[in-house]
Amino acid sequence: MPLLEVNDLRTHFFTGDGVVRAVDGVSFTVEPGRTLGIVGESGCGKSVTALSIMRLLPEPPARIVTGSIRFDGRELTTLSERELEDVRGRQIAMIFQDPMTALNPTLTIGTQITEVLERHLGIEGEAARRRAAELLDEVGISRARERLDDYPHRFSGGMRQRVMIAIAIACEPGLLIADEPTTALDVTVQAQVLDLLDDLRRERGMAMILITHNMGVVAESAEEVAVMYAGQIVEQAPALELFARPEHPYTEALLAALPDLDDKRARERRLEAIPGRPPDLIDPPVGCRFAARCPYAGCGDSCAQAPQPLRELRPTHWVRSAHPASKRAAEEALSA
Amino acid sequence: MSAAPLPIPAGVSGVSAGAPIRQSSLWQDAWRRYLRNRGAVLAGGIFLLIVGYCIIAPIVSPHDPNRVHFPDAYQGPSWSHPFGTDQFGRDLFTRTALGGRISIGIGFGATLAILAIGVVYGAVSGFVGGKLDNAMMRFLDALYGLPYLPFAILALAIIGTVNFWTMVVALSIASWFITARVVRGQILTLKENDYVRAAHAVGLRSYAILSRHLLPNTLGILVITIFLELPGVILGEAFLSFLGLGINPPDASWGSMAQDGRDAYRAHPHLIVIPSLAIATLVLCANFVADGLRDALDPRTRET
Repeated sequence: MPLLEVNDLRTHFFTGDGVVRAVDGVSFTVEPGRTLGIVGESGCGKSVTALSIMRLLPEPPARIVTGSIRFDGRELTTLSERELEDVRGRQIAMIFQDPMTALNPTLTIGTQITEVLERHLGIEGEAARRRAAELLDEVGISRARERLDDYPHRFSGGMRQRVMIAIAIACEPGLLIADEPTTALDVTVQAQVLDLLDDLRRERGMAMILITHNMGVVAESAEEVAVMYAGQIVEQAPALELFARPEHPYTEALLAALPDLDDKRARERRLEAIPGRPPDLIDPPVGCRFAARCPYAGCGDSCAQAPQPLRELRPTHWVRSAHPASKRAAEEALSA
Repeated sequence: MSAAPLPIPAGVSGVSAGAPIRQSSLWQDAWRRYLRNRGAVLAGGIFLLIVGYCIIAPIVSPHDPNRVHFPDAYQGPSWSHPFGTDQFGRDLFTRTALGGRISIGIGFGATLAILAIGVVYGAVSGFVGGKLDNAMMRFLDALYGLPYLPFAILALAIIGTVNFWTMVVALSIASWFITARVVRGQILTLKENDYVRAAHAVGLRSYAILSRHLLPNTLGILVITIFLELPGVILGEAFLSFLGLGINPPDASWGSMAQDGRDAYRAHPHLIVIPSLAIATLVLCANFVADGLRDALDPRTRET
């Protein structure tokens, strides 16, 4: 049985300008102990998806319009706020993008770890401090015991993210949602934090949702990848499969936009960019949402008018496009 | 600004190589900044001096403040009566201190009451937000139009008796609106912080988030608010007592003493000058202290 099952999730924001369909029909599952990477550009709905699972969006203006989120057999969309507070941090934990602001500057690191232990596990006093020190040690902070009484300003960005991870794993959650965990860190620290997350996940058999706009990060840590565009999943496949044989024109474009530092000639060229901008989510196009930027959507093509379903092109490889790469290749071969 | 000393980065001053770096907390930093503000330090010193005088003078004084002794009436300042005596021959040095106890006591009492009501109201309104916030703020808007002193007079009339505690109630009941707004504003800003989101994400209960992650961060503002509200309340009390609506004789506050002195102010001006001067000095000092505290606790507002 999957640990997390998201089915046709639609999270909309009811604003003065209209209804923003930030997440519009997203479905996926996460198996225990596995990592799902969600990639996409800013505003594609990946963070809103994560926050919907945690039910952390302010309601109003946000609301989960339809869809179900089942975690460990339990429906999260109908839980009360009090019940949710027991789930958050205990069963599903989350780490955020900017570790510089995610810790309270007026409380010591120790306090911020022990308050979670107290809240969910009822561990208090000296036992909690001992456990907090162990956790800091586990995430790779040296002299953990002494550092419990330090305030966050004495920690670097990478160390703060480690502290955030320590807090997140404190109650041994079944699922960790990492929302752009390395975006605010410099590149060398990024790799360390990703390795740490991966090690912890393996040791604890914890499932993980890794949200990022960085293809490299996904390639490194995710087993399964979902590519999001304009509030929908446009392609989903095992990581190796996705990188080896991308099908959706958007995924192809994302991969083409990655700078290749090994290729001498590539270093002299300009970086590839995707022309155009993502559609307005207040009034999204009826048909394929990528049509306006898609190099293969010719004029008069019906794909811009008809909604595109997510099709299973091959076993485990799902694509939402009328022009997947393999179909184009077949057509080309036919016309040649 | 002339010849302002360069700000010394926190934790750098006085550290020799190899010595463990001393952590300086927000409050230590603020204290250092406060000490650099000479006016505020002087005002704070005078403030403490006045408070100290009010506490100690009645204890050490050889004179009974309520003993009527007509042969001594209307004496000017002298060695045995530094502030002179009043129309009943009572020692004004002792009585001014006692009056100060009541004036300052009511001042702090009402200020703390204002703070308590304002913090609870503002914090709930800002933290819960949405419709409740809207309703609470519109209610506040309606109350905002209430003039503070007439309302205090009305409150005293309704309560019926005048003593220390009813004065505290009367003076705080219509003056907590600004504090509530300030606290709400603070909570609204703080609420948007990532660490508050993170606290929600680990499942902390709402009251824990409010009391641990939000309210402690408003402490600076609250300390400033104490000294901003204090002068208004002390003046309010003096005003009510001057009108004869305040503390009953033989107890006295600075306001009622000034009222007593009014009858003979031509022949014996010290009767009205001394309590008035005491009120003015205290209020001025409180304002300076509030200014200094604001600069010290919220340095961003100060830099050019």
